[in-house]
Amino acid sequence: MAAADSPSAALQRRDLCSRGIRLAGKMRADVVDLLDTYVERQGLDASASVAAVEGVPSAAVERWDEQTGTQRLLENLAAYRAFRALLAQMLEEQREQLGDADAALGRALAAVLLQVSAFAYHLEELLRLESRGIPGEEGAGPPPPPRLSLFEQKLRGLGVLRELAQWAVRSARDLRQLAKPSPAAGSAPGLAESP
Amino acid sequence: DSHVQYERVGADVTMKCGSMDWDAAVTWTANGTDIDESHLNGSYLILKNVDLSQSGQYSCYEGSSWHLKYQTYLRVGTPPKEPVLMCRSNNYPKGFYCSWHLPTPTYIPNSFNISVIHGTKDMVCEKDAIPKNRCHIRYLQLFSTVKYKVTLTVTNALGKNFTTLTFDEFAIVKPDPPESVVAKPVPNNPRRLEVSWQNPSSWPDPESFPLKFFLRYRPLILDQWQHVELSDGTSHTITDAYAGKEYIIQVAAKDNDIGTWSDWSVAVHATPWTEEPKHLTTEAQITETTSASTSSFMAPPTTKICDKGAVVGSGAVAVCWTAGLVVAAYSVLFI
Repeated sequence: MAAADSPSAALQRRDLCSRGIRLAGKMRADVVDLLDTYVERQGLDASASVAAVEGVPSAAVERWDEQTGTQRLLENLAAYRAFRALLAQMLEEQREQLGDADAALGRALAAVLLQVSAFAYHLEELLRLESRGIPGEEGAGPPPPPRLSLFEQKLRGLGVLRELAQWAVRSARDLRQLAKPSPAAGSAPGLAESP
Repeated sequence: DSHVQYERVGADVTMKCGSMDWDAAVTWTANGTDIDESHLNGSYLILKNVDLSQSGQYSCYEGSSWHLKYQTYLRVGTPPKEPVLMCRSNNYPKGFYCSWHLPTPTYIPNSFNISVIHGTKDMVCEKDAIPKNRCHIRYLQLFSTVKYKVTLTVTNALGKNFTTLTFDEFAIVKPDPPESVVAKPVPNNPRRLEVSWQNPSSWPDPESFPLKFFLRYRPLILDQWQHVELSDGTSHTITDAYAGKEYIIQVAAKDNDIGTWSDWSVAVHATPWTEEPKHLTTEAQITETTSASTSSFMAPPTTKICDKGAVVGSGAVAVCWTAGLVVAAYSVLFI
């Protein structure tokens, strides 16, 4: 059962949600800028279609409005943890490929990685507030993907950033749903746990 | 037998009189009026380079008996040009609609077929009863990076054409303009106007999907707009209006995160509050009320050019000041 919705818990939740929404907004703006830089520096076509890439969490969701608060938090957390690993990998690849030649792109990637980590932590705080156990991160993580060609790496990076930009919008929407006062009956999707 | 025949503008049309032989004696009519024999080749009716005005009912009668042997309705028109298609979501996140029209009329009946594909999935666009050239579709997924592809095909008896639109879920989000825009003067504030409005009623969930707003205003006598962007709230107080001037005000809306700005709302007009004009006063009353003006200079009672009445202006102050100096100078001379 979710924690009793005491006034202070409700206030804390609202405060965390508001800050989370601002974080998500800033993150999205930075990811959009990073996308422009990435496309330019990597010599890609901005309108290139990228097929769904394995390991990149898709922001697309059906029946979004019917999700419970807990579902939203858990899905968001899983996604940002995955992005944290993916961005770290991209940063590593970028350093290998270009070294110090493109410090600007490296800095932009690192800045977004920091925000993604901060947002993941923020989500953990929200889950803690709901007295929900925070799912552990998989120990060894998934096996490293097969070595991709340079071009494949670049396309993959494009896919990662595009999906992250979608997630940033979705997260702001999710947090707004969470910030809504919980209904007394707890049957409507809010932070009530599904039976 | 009566039937419909479709022909292109500019085409040459040959009509046979049913099963009558070429050399049979016949009479053709167009909308009941006899057609001159010069248009006949035997019993065939020849219409060269047809135009729209030649649409109508054509009938062929056997020469002697005047039996109706053949009747057709000729409709002259054109094959469809590439249709114009537009898709938009004014009720995000519920769904979106697409509407279309032909850039030029064909003058004959057309049928439209629309297909919507999201990735590999076919979606159904439900046609609206009114308006006819519109259909709507519910979003099955939100926050998808997969593009939507909408293809509209228009077909008529003379040909077909099509157009395709490809777009992202976010790109087509455009709310309707704000509603119930009201602008009111603020009592005792000659430079303020209070503006309020409501979210467009078509926007289903402003709490979860808040809108931001753009306000523009200008006095009627000027062309230059002032702009204010507002990230929340549905009201704003203009504090730099020109006193006494009538203003025109409009508001536009946009989802906080995605999509494009709505069209401008219906324009409203308002004039800031102005003080009631005072009655004409005597000189004595003017000197008493001078201290209430923005000028801190007390005009000497005899200096009529300092008669400011109810008007406050830096020009008037300068005149008073100059007059005062002259008086002071004369006073010094006579000491």
